[in-house]
Amino acid sequence: MVGEPILVMLVEDNVDHAELVIRTLEEHRIANKVRHFLDGQSALDYLFRREEYAGQENNPRPHVILLDLRLPRVDGIDVLKAIKESDELKAIPVVILTTSEAEKDVARAYYNHANSYLVKPVGFEEFKKLMDDLGFYWLGWNTHPHGKG
Amino acid sequence: MGRILNLPDLGSEDLNIQARLYYRLSAGLIVLSLIFVILTPFLAPPLTQRALIIAGVVVPASLCVLWLVRRKKLRYAAVFFVSLLWLIVTLASVTAGGISAPVTLGYVIVILIGVLTFKKRPYFIVGICALAVVLMALAQMTGVVTQTVEYSPVARAIIYVFFFVVAGLLQSITAMNTQQLLVKSRENEARYRSLLENIPATIYINSLQPEAPTTYVSPQVEKILGYPRRAFTDDPLFWTKILHPDDAALVKQQSRRTSESLEPFSMEYRVIAKENRVVWLKDDALLVYDENGKPLYWLGVWTDITSLKQVEDEQADLVHGLTKRTIQLQTAADVARAATSILDINDLLPSVVELIRDHFEYYYVGMFLIDEAGEWAVLRAASGEMGRQMLEMGHRLKLEDSSMVGWCIKHKQARIALDVGEDAVRFVNPLLPLTRSEIALPLIAHGNVIGAMTIQSEKPAAFSRVDITALQAMADLVANALENARLFTERVGLNKELESQNEELERFTYTVSHDLRSPLVTIRGFLGYLRQDVSSGDMTRFDHDLNRIASAVDKMQTLLNELLELSRIGRIANPPEAIPFGELVREAVELLSGPLEAGKIRMEINGAFPMVLVDRLRVAEVLQNLISNAIKFMGDQPNPVIEIGAAGTDADGKPILYIRDNGVGIDPKYHDRIFGLFNRLDPSIEGTGIGLTLVKRIVEIHGGRIWLDSELGRGATFYFTLPIPEPKI
Repeated sequence: MVGEPILVMLVEDNVDHAELVIRTLEEHRIANKVRHFLDGQSALDYLFRREEYAGQENNPRPHVILLDLRLPRVDGIDVLKAIKESDELKAIPVVILTTSEAEKDVARAYYNHANSYLVKPVGFEEFKKLMDDLGFYWLGWNTHPHGKG
Repeated sequence: MGRILNLPDLGSEDLNIQARLYYRLSAGLIVLSLIFVILTPFLAPPLTQRALIIAGVVVPASLCVLWLVRRKKLRYAAVFFVSLLWLIVTLASVTAGGISAPVTLGYVIVILIGVLTFKKRPYFIVGICALAVVLMALAQMTGVVTQTVEYSPVARAIIYVFFFVVAGLLQSITAMNTQQLLVKSRENEARYRSLLENIPATIYINSLQPEAPTTYVSPQVEKILGYPRRAFTDDPLFWTKILHPDDAALVKQQSRRTSESLEPFSMEYRVIAKENRVVWLKDDALLVYDENGKPLYWLGVWTDITSLKQVEDEQADLVHGLTKRTIQLQTAADVARAATSILDINDLLPSVVELIRDHFEYYYVGMFLIDEAGEWAVLRAASGEMGRQMLEMGHRLKLEDSSMVGWCIKHKQARIALDVGEDAVRFVNPLLPLTRSEIALPLIAHGNVIGAMTIQSEKPAAFSRVDITALQAMADLVANALENARLFTERVGLNKELESQNEELERFTYTVSHDLRSPLVTIRGFLGYLRQDVSSGDMTRFDHDLNRIASAVDKMQTLLNELLELSRIGRIANPPEAIPFGELVREAVELLSGPLEAGKIRMEINGAFPMVLVDRLRVAEVLQNLISNAIKFMGDQPNPVIEIGAAGTDADGKPILYIRDNGVGIDPKYHDRIFGLFNRLDPSIEGTGIGLTLVKRIVEIHGGRIWLDSELGRGATFYFTLPIPEPKI
């Protein structure tokens, strides 16, 4: 990971939340780059290099994916399934980042091989702390399975 | 002496009379010979020798005849006797000197006796006697025989008188015998006739023509058939005219056949007696021949076997009845089994219909159930190909007296038409042309009529009282089974509804926790940055973050309002009113005239709208939501159009209404999700994701359905159905 640009994929339909996440991650200089997608469909298109991303074989694969569950067009769980069913993509850690505390959602996420499940905290300090820890853990401590995408 | 005079019985009256004749004649000859022998020496002394010779021959010969008669050798006795007489006369004539002797007259006696004896061959006797006379005359002319005896006039007279007496006696015997025979035969005829006319059967005689005309019929015919006896002989073919129409052809055919083959005729058939009584006759006829084997006539016997046939029929009926009862029990058991084991109405009715039709071999069985409005009896199951066609046609009958089924449901009573031709009530069905009798039985469960069963037969009067009882019992079974099935279905439906309500509630709490949390996260997050902005003095950022907070608060406000609205739909229902749907459309379009004009959207309102029976405010919301959606998703369409119209009715008769746009459209793969709470397809377009959920709930609460037809880039059409007011009668 030395010298390698760290790419985070953020799939989040709520632009406010996206801004909060990106701002926090940038402030702590954890990620080199955050790519934000508003819905599940466009995220999948990027990952599978199809539709508007077709032919962009050099598109870097993200080191970690932050995924909301309730998304327009393709739901978060379906995005998770698609990633974990793909031999090329399933090694990428997927962290569910959502407002839902529902047990059903937690269970469904882990059942579909989510690597982690985090609930967005309502308090500002907690939110910042979570983002810090998340960055340190997944992008600092965690050893990634691949060099480049 | 008495024993000798009593003759043995020869078996026939005729023979007995003959035997008596020979007996008497032989006895008479013996007496005469003895008188002759005693008187001759005094009256004609020269003839004494001849008298002795003649008596010597006559007495033993006569004794011999007597013996033969007693031995019943009548024929030998007759031949012997006549030959004896002939011999005596011939002998007497020859010895008396030929043809001129008065004894020659004796040939007359011989002929008389000969004729009496050999009735059929008198020529032979006459011939023999004539031959003897001729030969004697020739002998006398040639002198071979000479007259030796000169009869005194007295002797001649005695001889002549003797012959007169004998001839007279013979004639009187013959006459007496004839008289006796006549009386006897009359007695016999009377006896036979009384026998014939008193046996318990009718005797008839038909002549030999092919049509077998009647020549005689015994009087019993009047007793068994009631027609006068003369009717049969006045019209010799009368017997063929009273044959039962069902049997006539066969009887005539058989009669013609036996007339040709001359075989005995034997048959059992029906005739129509007086007063249209049906009488079963056993008819046996034989051909009667004469002695030469020539057929003379048909002699027949009619026996009345009506009561025998009745017993036979009753037995057959009994066996038939028992068989039927067994089948009914079997069917009832099968129906009961089907009724308790099949819970789905759609399976139960066809099974029962087939069971009843197969077991009883009826022409047609059908089951009707009353529709929800309680106006029609709708055919739900029917047997056979005709049944299938009627089901396809959606055959139904009004619950009025104009049909058997309608009548029976309306009056809660079985209706029976034993010959439907006579029952004006019956609905004449062109698909069931063979129906001759029909019963309609009400299906009653817990005191309520829920439908009716119709059973039809090709036979007139096909249903006995017992049949009807058995069928009604089966109808009751079916009715109860149907009610059970209905309750079962209802319970399943309730369970399903409860399940879906639970699911909805779960989804609701889930989305509320998720979606209400979301603006909170935003508010708290940006509030945190707001502090940083203040401390860093970055006012641009401060404004930006504040706006974020404000819009999140607004969003939360909207969300809460809409959630409240959604939760109220199920609970608060304004009473439905009959409103012209067009009026609702107009109101909604007016309300949205601002955004419509802003988007330069043309409204097309098509055709005649029906009256609808709805909660006015709620349906107005439906229209506003759908029109707003159409406006929102118009995209960059250069010529935007929204069309509202009606597109006929669905299977339940509810009008189908639609709102069509030519906007961006929706990919079919998202069609399932768009009605779900907080499901949004395009995050860039404002909205909470409640609108279509609300629309769907309102339509469903009205008992309607909503669906859409759309493809990406090709606009979208939302269809929905609404209830209509009951037609006023």
